[in-house]
Amino acid sequence: MNEHKSNPLVRYSVDHPKSVTWAMSLSTLLLILLALLPSLWPATFNILNPLQVDTDPENMLSADEPVRVFHNASKQTFSLRDMVVVGIVNPENPEGVFNPASLQRIHELTEFAKGITWPDPENPERQIGVVEVDILAPSVVDSIEQGGMGVVNFNWLMPKPPTTQEEALAIREKALRIPLLNGTMVSEDGLAIALYLPLTDKHLSYQVREALLGKIAEWEGSGDEFHITGLPVAEDTFGVEMFYQMAISAPLAMLVIFLLLWWFFKKLSLISAPMILAMVCSLATMALLIISGNTIHIMSSMIPIFIMPIAVLDAIHILSDFFDEYQKRKNRRETILYVMQHLYTPMLFTTLTTMAGFASLLMTPIPPVQTFGLFIAIGVFLAWFWTITFIPAFIMFIPEEKLANFGHQTEDAQDTGLMSRLLNASGQSIYRHARWVLIGTGAAMAVGLYGITQININDNPIKWFHSDHPIRIADKVLNEHFGGTYLAYLELEPGESTDTVTEYSQAMQQRIKAATDQLAATGILNSNVVFEQLYNQTALLASTVQNKAALLHALDNYINSQMESTTDDMFEAWDEAQLFIAHERQRDETFKQPEVLQYISDLQTYLASLDVVGKSSSVADVVKTVYRALLMGKQEAFRIPDSSNAVAQTLITYQNSHRPHDLWHFVTPDYRKATLMVQLTSGDNQDMAEVEAQVKRYFQDHPPPFELSHRWFGLTYINVIWQEEMVAGMAVALAGSFVVVLIMMTVLFRSLLWGLLAIIPLTVTVWVIYGIVGLVGKDYDMPIAVLSALSLGLSVDYAIHFLSRARQLQGQHGSWQAALPHLFAEPARAITRNAIVVGVGFLPLLAAPLVPYQTVGIFIAAILLLAGIASLLILPAIITLFEPWLFHKNSRRPNHA
Amino acid sequence: MRNLITLLLFILPASLVAAPTVDEIVHRSNMTTYYQGEDGRAQVKMIITDSQGRERQRQLTILRIDAAKSDAIEGDAYLGGQKFYIYFHRPADVNKMAFLVWKHLDQDDDRWLYLPALDLVKRIAASDKRTSFVGSDFFYEDVSGRRLDEDRHELIETTKSYYVIKNSPKDADAVEFSYYKAFIHKQTFIPVQVEYFDKAGNKYRIAKALGVKNIQGYPTVTKASVENLKTGSKTVMEYSKVEYDIGLDDALFTERYLRKAPRRQLR
Repeated sequence: MNEHKSNPLVRYSVDHPKSVTWAMSLSTLLLILLALLPSLWPATFNILNPLQVDTDPENMLSADEPVRVFHNASKQTFSLRDMVVVGIVNPENPEGVFNPASLQRIHELTEFAKGITWPDPENPERQIGVVEVDILAPSVVDSIEQGGMGVVNFNWLMPKPPTTQEEALAIREKALRIPLLNGTMVSEDGLAIALYLPLTDKHLSYQVREALLGKIAEWEGSGDEFHITGLPVAEDTFGVEMFYQMAISAPLAMLVIFLLLWWFFKKLSLISAPMILAMVCSLATMALLIISGNTIHIMSSMIPIFIMPIAVLDAIHILSDFFDEYQKRKNRRETILYVMQHLYTPMLFTTLTTMAGFASLLMTPIPPVQTFGLFIAIGVFLAWFWTITFIPAFIMFIPEEKLANFGHQTEDAQDTGLMSRLLNASGQSIYRHARWVLIGTGAAMAVGLYGITQININDNPIKWFHSDHPIRIADKVLNEHFGGTYLAYLELEPGESTDTVTEYSQAMQQRIKAATDQLAATGILNSNVVFEQLYNQTALLASTVQNKAALLHALDNYINSQMESTTDDMFEAWDEAQLFIAHERQRDETFKQPEVLQYISDLQTYLASLDVVGKSSSVADVVKTVYRALLMGKQEAFRIPDSSNAVAQTLITYQNSHRPHDLWHFVTPDYRKATLMVQLTSGDNQDMAEVEAQVKRYFQDHPPPFELSHRWFGLTYINVIWQEEMVAGMAVALAGSFVVVLIMMTVLFRSLLWGLLAIIPLTVTVWVIYGIVGLVGKDYDMPIAVLSALSLGLSVDYAIHFLSRARQLQGQHGSWQAALPHLFAEPARAITRNAIVVGVGFLPLLAAPLVPYQTVGIFIAAILLLAGIASLLILPAIITLFEPWLFHKNSRRPNHA
Repeated sequence: MRNLITLLLFILPASLVAAPTVDEIVHRSNMTTYYQGEDGRAQVKMIITDSQGRERQRQLTILRIDAAKSDAIEGDAYLGGQKFYIYFHRPADVNKMAFLVWKHLDQDDDRWLYLPALDLVKRIAASDKRTSFVGSDFFYEDVSGRRLDEDRHELIETTKSYYVIKNSPKDADAVEFSYYKAFIHKQTFIPVQVEYFDKAGNKYRIAKALGVKNIQGYPTVTKASVENLKTGSKTVMEYSKVEYDIGLDDALFTERYLRKAPRRQLR
């Protein structure tokens, strides 16, 4: 064994174990301090980044993503806020919550909710929490109703809780007559009420929920059931439970890895090394994440649990080899140098491929996924670095006498263990039945292909919780009773007019003519004289001004100057001229035009016919409701009035209520933009995508009366967009990862053929696993998408170890058949151990309370175990069948690649 | 003569020499704000600005006539029923829309609304007067006045220029405030600033007199604002062409004239 052949870094570590250990301890400690200090004392260490948690699915899109920018701008435009929804049902009462006792509690809860505000820690002048003025609850909304002969009423729907059952039922009756409330605040079945509590910031929803739960606890056993939901609540609760994940799963992963290592090596002093390594790497990586100002997100929270099993993989190879070799040499220094020498290249390459797999996530357009990929790649690099330095150093600390009875004493002992015997037998039988192995692989891939065609791309943040989680239950109950708690908004906007001033003035002159005739009929003195002047003046001014606004401004000035000097008998006519110009200005107020409102109303009818849409609300509903109240409450008056003036007067009547500002959630004060609030009973992305497609088709099939563009926003819609980007991005990442791994393998083996051979097992694995996803009907969601690309880099590791040892052993023993038993001894054992460690190492994710983590856990365990099996089955089978092609050049080379 | 002396003796110590009583302050303030002259007229430009700075404008004319033909505070002589006629000029699409309010001291007000485009006169149930006045931050009650006997009044502070009156509702369930504080100017008795506090004790609404002019001897608010701190919305009303004692005919203030507006009086 030539000492100079070993890597200088390894040799240095073997010679200076203390300094290596110190370097590792101190650097890790420093990183931890840099992350911990600003988190604990943000004021003192304000130049450093503190720990920040981010649970917002919106951040799956980068902040400058157009859809997100538009979403935020539109929320601002229409003063829309994220909401906590409290649904109240009473299954024990035949009238549901419409009884005096329940309504009393609902009233009390509303009053309580108004008070859930506190000073903003960043700006104590400002109150944050629930936004009182936009709460939707029986006691704070108006009932616009017919109040007997010729009387219209604007009253609070429930100014105080009713004292009798009759009063309670009367409240229900009133509420059900108001489309904006029916299906939103009061369920269509008349049994449930939902309170909508808008928040100054959606990130406060967890605190608001906690406060509400405290109040609700007073009413245990009252028969009323309170369900709290809404996307912000789900997201915030998710954030809290994310920490449970880290607190439970990460230590559990440590424990599992420890137990596995104990089972493999039975030597506490030895296995403490990889345990330390796992700790160091995950802590240092998390510290780097925090120091660099990144957030703990659903993705990045999984970093420790990914790094821990990966970090110990190389150490397992080293220890396995050391275990086998030590007794041959009885010298720890010589043994470790030998082991490191022939493991160095495969370890380097497995590290590079794993890093490449994770780094391929940088190719997705999803920032949290990029961060996740990047930092695991960093963590894997750290793991490699400390593996080749600290592990040898650590072995040097163990006194030789303690290693006296360590490892395999004789060659025979190797074959006594169950795993050894099993592997040995497998090797033999694969050699004999190579053809059948490949036929079986082909069959599995055929089934997999069918499965892949069945894949259903879908996600839903509410379903990140288990079906028995209170949030899921609330979601289920409320969506059964109401028009849906998933909100999406459709913004409508007219196109800008392309008319020139001349075109406009000519059209306006036509309108002046028409107005002249109308006014003559009403008997306003001198109106024909005045309007003729107006007509002429319009023609005159049109050629001198730049645009329509300037024209109207000039005409206004003209009329004003006329009015100052005019005689009494002309005054009224000039007054009408001025009114005419004011009307001209209002022609741009698109969403006061009856035909536009009718179009919106028809669109809503169409939307309501879609399965997943519970209801929709718009300014058209406001107009129809008030118009009906004005016309004696007759059902046939539930329509859009015929003129824009009538619409305007209906709307101004509405604004005589307690909550005039409610109108501006549906239309802007200039009536140039409107929004349709669509309630969906499902938050599944595929359902939202379907609604989007149907609406697009509707606009194509039913052209609007004016040019009208439509664009979606709202959290439910945002989720669709990031999912689309995720799916497309993952395809790129997967392809990229594939190519990178192939190139690396080709370089490693200096042969494209061997490179291709190396990626066969993982291709089969990913193929079959995704086939299974399709077959079992599991939605292709965020975690599954992410895993495809990164698993390539991990699962190729087995092939690297297997093939590089295969080539070494083939060279040593002269033929593949002779090399096979040796390959299925220590190398296969190390691979099996690795597969078990990473596979089982990820299983603690199953203990996490959240579904995506469990999906990741099961999924990656399945991929890695299957990849291990596939490598050990398929690679020897192919080599057996294609031996002449694979070995013809290398057969006489004794060294590894 | 003897009567006059008695009167002087009565008035001087009470209202001019010594500090006026709470009752007197609120009545004087009430009279100044709502009852000056036998009748009156004003052109109003209303600018509503929401929290995003978006503006809406309205132009209207307000006519008023009092049942009591006196402005005297003594014996509440100024107090009585009132009638308001509110006519809209702009926005153009609500032109000719009109409100008629008959304010009573002993019963709920009567309110009518005329919507020309719908050719409809509706009575508005007036059980709650603290609703928005045509989408502005003013309430109906701010336009026509709140009955003094609905609140308890308390002089909580006298500053150099103001009497600070705390007004608490007798029926707390009927209103959204828990109390309001009025800063009443000592000379003119104009409530220069009124602050409303909600049931949690937070200030949420501020009414201000931004401009005062002497018109025909009457101190008159020519610019006023109401700001809603919860919605961030603010409304400014600018009064122009203010006139008192113009001899309006009581007959104008009837349902009949809603459809056929008295154009001359509204100019």
